[in-house]
Amino acid sequence: MSASGQLAQTAPVQASAEMQKVRQAALRRQRLNRGVTYFIAILICLWVLIPIWFIASMALTTPEVVRSYPKGVLPFIPFSFETMRFFLSSQGIIPGTINSIIVAIITLLLSTIIAAPAGYAISRYLFPGRDFYRLSILAVRAFPVVILAIPLAVVFINFGIYDSVYSLALMHTALTLPTTILVIGSVFASIPYELEEAAQVYGCTPLQAFRTVVLPLVAPGIAAAAIFTFVMSWNEVFAASILTVRNRTLPAQVLSTLSQSSEPYQFAGAFFMMIPAMIFIFVIRRYLFNMWGQISK
Amino acid sequence: MKKRRNWAPYLLILPSVIYLAIFFAWPMARAMTLAVWDADAVLRLKAEASAESAGAGTLPRGTQVEILGQQGNIVAPEELTQRNLRTERWFRIEAERADGQPVSGWAQETRVRVREESESGEPLAGTIRRKLGSDADPLTDVFSEASVASAVAGRLEANTRVEIREQAMLELWYLVRGEADGTPAEGWAQSRYIQVYADDTTGRIDRGNAGELTNRYIQAMVNDRFFWPALWTTFLLMVLIIPVQFVLAMIMALIIQQQLRGNSFFLYVFAIALGVSDLAVGIVWYAIFTQYGYLNSILQGLGFIGAPIAYLTADTRYWIIIAIWLAEVWRATSIVMVVVVSGLQAIPNEVLEAADLFGAGLWKRIRFVILPMLKPSLQVALILRTILALQVFAVVIALSGGDIVTVLANEAYRQYYDLRNVNVAAAYAGLILLLSMVSAVIYLRLVRSNEEAQA
Repeated sequence: MSASGQLAQTAPVQASAEMQKVRQAALRRQRLNRGVTYFIAILICLWVLIPIWFIASMALTTPEVVRSYPKGVLPFIPFSFETMRFFLSSQGIIPGTINSIIVAIITLLLSTIIAAPAGYAISRYLFPGRDFYRLSILAVRAFPVVILAIPLAVVFINFGIYDSVYSLALMHTALTLPTTILVIGSVFASIPYELEEAAQVYGCTPLQAFRTVVLPLVAPGIAAAAIFTFVMSWNEVFAASILTVRNRTLPAQVLSTLSQSSEPYQFAGAFFMMIPAMIFIFVIRRYLFNMWGQISK
Repeated sequence: MKKRRNWAPYLLILPSVIYLAIFFAWPMARAMTLAVWDADAVLRLKAEASAESAGAGTLPRGTQVEILGQQGNIVAPEELTQRNLRTERWFRIEAERADGQPVSGWAQETRVRVREESESGEPLAGTIRRKLGSDADPLTDVFSEASVASAVAGRLEANTRVEIREQAMLELWYLVRGEADGTPAEGWAQSRYIQVYADDTTGRIDRGNAGELTNRYIQAMVNDRFFWPALWTTFLLMVLIIPVQFVLAMIMALIIQQQLRGNSFFLYVFAIALGVSDLAVGIVWYAIFTQYGYLNSILQGLGFIGAPIAYLTADTRYWIIIAIWLAEVWRATSIVMVVVVSGLQAIPNEVLEAADLFGAGLWKRIRFVILPMLKPSLQVALILRTILALQVFAVVIALSGGDIVTVLANEAYRQYYDLRNVNVAAAYAGLILLLSMVSAVIYLRLVRSNEEAQA
């Protein structure tokens, strides 16, 4: 778009009248296109935001309004935390939330600690088996979760660590590890190796070079990867439902009581589960392409 | 990029390899085993009532058997930790009968009430329990050995005081005879494998101690009344969801590519769903489609309908499918969008500029420049999405309760959780794995053959 405009500006002054016409047509087309693009972009935004708008306005009002019909499209009338309070005071929600946070934090730590060296290796070294390793990681990334949860449940029962947040965190780590490795790999790959080399030329040991030059540069990217790991674990419901019985995580708790629960409970629960995810995606939005870009290369 | 070959990269990837081997490769192998391996299908009989003795044929689980004899074996303390061991405790006792005669021998724990214990919990003395029932033999047998098959050393009245000298854990063995497929077999087996009927002379093999390959679980899966609906719905959803998702993701990616003012806002909004849990999305769309939900509110507000329509009922299955379809498109398009955007970023700007300069319209640019160059990204996104579509789960439960409309992952969950049928659940998991692999291979093949055709 902008390219044709630039071209037109830098074109020789003695451009023919015909060229002028072409240029004007291109500009007109460009303006029209831009308008249409905005229109479609806003439509898609509405498509994404309106359902969130609905659930937010259900969660932040009184249970009476939630049960009423027809529902007002204008939200928050009356604005109240009563539905949320009702949800949070329901049985198993606070413990479930705490469990979810514990699982997600353990997953985040384990996954980052294991993935960081692997990510460094695939971005910095050419070694026999590197492609095979990357390909296997990709394959694991795409594998169905359900496969793992059921046999792992049997194994965990045999080892007596079934129904525990720690064993669930082990499973979630297996789930998130491939993504985390690929993301951290791409984060390292975006820092030129020459920087490290230069630091070493100026007298740093390899470790010093890594610590003082590379680490500050990759820290935000790795933090973003870790946050995404947290979100994946926070959202995961199938394995959590299978691997826990009494120590349920929040999604597993909501799922197991879904059919017996009232609408205010469900809507507030959905909104409550969405909040951290939405905040975290906002925080890491710049790194999203780092994360998923890798997968197609 | 360091090209020197050394051990450092292997050391760096080692933890992840080990972790994935333990928590990924091994469970996967386990899953496949669970689906086709019947772990206690046959009982291996022994020639004598001892674990070390030679084998004496096998009988399948469920065989009716005659019980020809029994023997109690003392179980070594180190074997007591074995799972599923069915043991009984026996006491070596000494007592004095009412007529002054001394009696010594073995009696079951169930016949003696322990009255005194040492500080470490060892039983020291007790009394013979009263037998219940008026027609029961009032006297308790004391055996010469720790086995009901041994000679009776004496008989004691209820409430006789006994000194407990020793205790032993026994496992009962039965000599059984049965017939399977016309071949009779006779041998000893531990009592834990055999259910004895009330007449004490017949019984059946409750479970075996050895496994065999079986297609029972796969048959059970296929014959389940939810299997075909689940498979069909899963495919239907895949076919409905994926094309729409790709078109929408393509549009989103092209918008992001335009670098409009407010681009980062658009990017964030388009990507929100990336972080939203599928369960939450299911509930969100439930809020819209439920009878007293938003869709009806809006339609009635605009005067299109007079009374709320019930969408999510057993009679209106197609509405549930539509709701799941919209919810999944809403939720999972962002992943495709992100993959496509990073693919677009890899296309050199000069190529697009050149196409623009030569007057290629938007459609032509997409058709002849962007799509061919995006092929690898699209292929990856397609594989990823297909595999994820095979795992649709929480959205379906939230919108249909899990039985009106069901999918494969939901059936795996139901088999595992509600029906406690791990093996059939594993069969479902295996089926999902198989379908994932088949679809990945098909996509890879399709793209390659296209390239070959063009070349």
